[in-house]
Amino acid sequence: MMDCKEVSETLFLFVDNEMGPDLMTPFQDHVAKCPGCAQRMDYTRKLLWLVRERCVRCTASRDLRTRILTNFPHRRIVIPPI
Amino acid sequence: MVKGMSMPKASADHQKGWDFEAAAMPFVDALYNTAYRMTRNAEDAEDLVQETYLKAYRYYDKFEEGTNFKAWLFKIMKNTFINNYRKKQQTPALSDFADIEESYETQVSEDAAKQIKNPEQELLENVLDEDVQRAIDKLPPDYRMVVLLADLEGFSYKEIADILEVPVGTVMSRLYRGRRLMEASMLEFAREHGYLREREPVKMRSKSGARPK
Repeated sequence: MMDCKEVSETLFLFVDNEMGPDLMTPFQDHVAKCPGCAQRMDYTRKLLWLVRERCVRCTASRDLRTRILTNFPHRRIVIPPI
Repeated sequence: MVKGMSMPKASADHQKGWDFEAAAMPFVDALYNTAYRMTRNAEDAEDLVQETYLKAYRYYDKFEEGTNFKAWLFKIMKNTFINNYRKKQQTPALSDFADIEESYETQVSEDAAKQIKNPEQELLENVLDEDVQRAIDKLPPDYRMVVLLADLEGFSYKEIADILEVPVGTVMSRLYRGRRLMEASMLEFAREHGYLREREPVKMRSKSGARPK
């Protein structure tokens, strides 16, 4: 079983679904028994959810889309009849 | 088409162009958002995205079928960014950075000692949408890039390592530090709002949707 320090160091692996099978059981066994680490895990999940869902995102302007599209060669080349 | 007869080259290229467009254009907002967060300016971000599309179009033949196309586009943008824009960026000195982290640790342990409301709860309750963006903008570029790729775009560690051409271990350590720093900034902003809210309840409530009296 891991200790609190090891859990803290590998917490992101777990919440990012990047944890290997070898660490999974020692990690989960500790979290099941340690309210502090369980709380930290819950908080980390909420924090990352908040970053993903609430970060203000910029979108490409209509002008940029038009510029990209009109620069594509296939939109400029006229194919001669075969 | 008759078996064994190949498509005329112009026509094949033409078709490939349309295929590329259909595959690549759905990522224009994601690329632009990342470009904007990295260059911090709309004009540079637009040029960066446009150049990314031109290069990707030109090298579309080199894209390996079955690998992640979005990651491939981001890798091209990363290379373009490093070659053309990186020099312009102002990188916060690493010492500033150690200071932020240290002040966060001190704050957290002081709070624990004074038994103030748990800082984690305080952050989740008071942080505003634009704070998340501000916290990301404050990160040094290497950390910012990893956070954007992982937390906004949802790439795996392996995909990020491929995009940035660094080992997975480097991705993990940048992500760890980047997220901790982001958390520290968000807590700082949340504190400012929490403090303001206590002093000017009516004004701040109007921001969260409730009507001022």
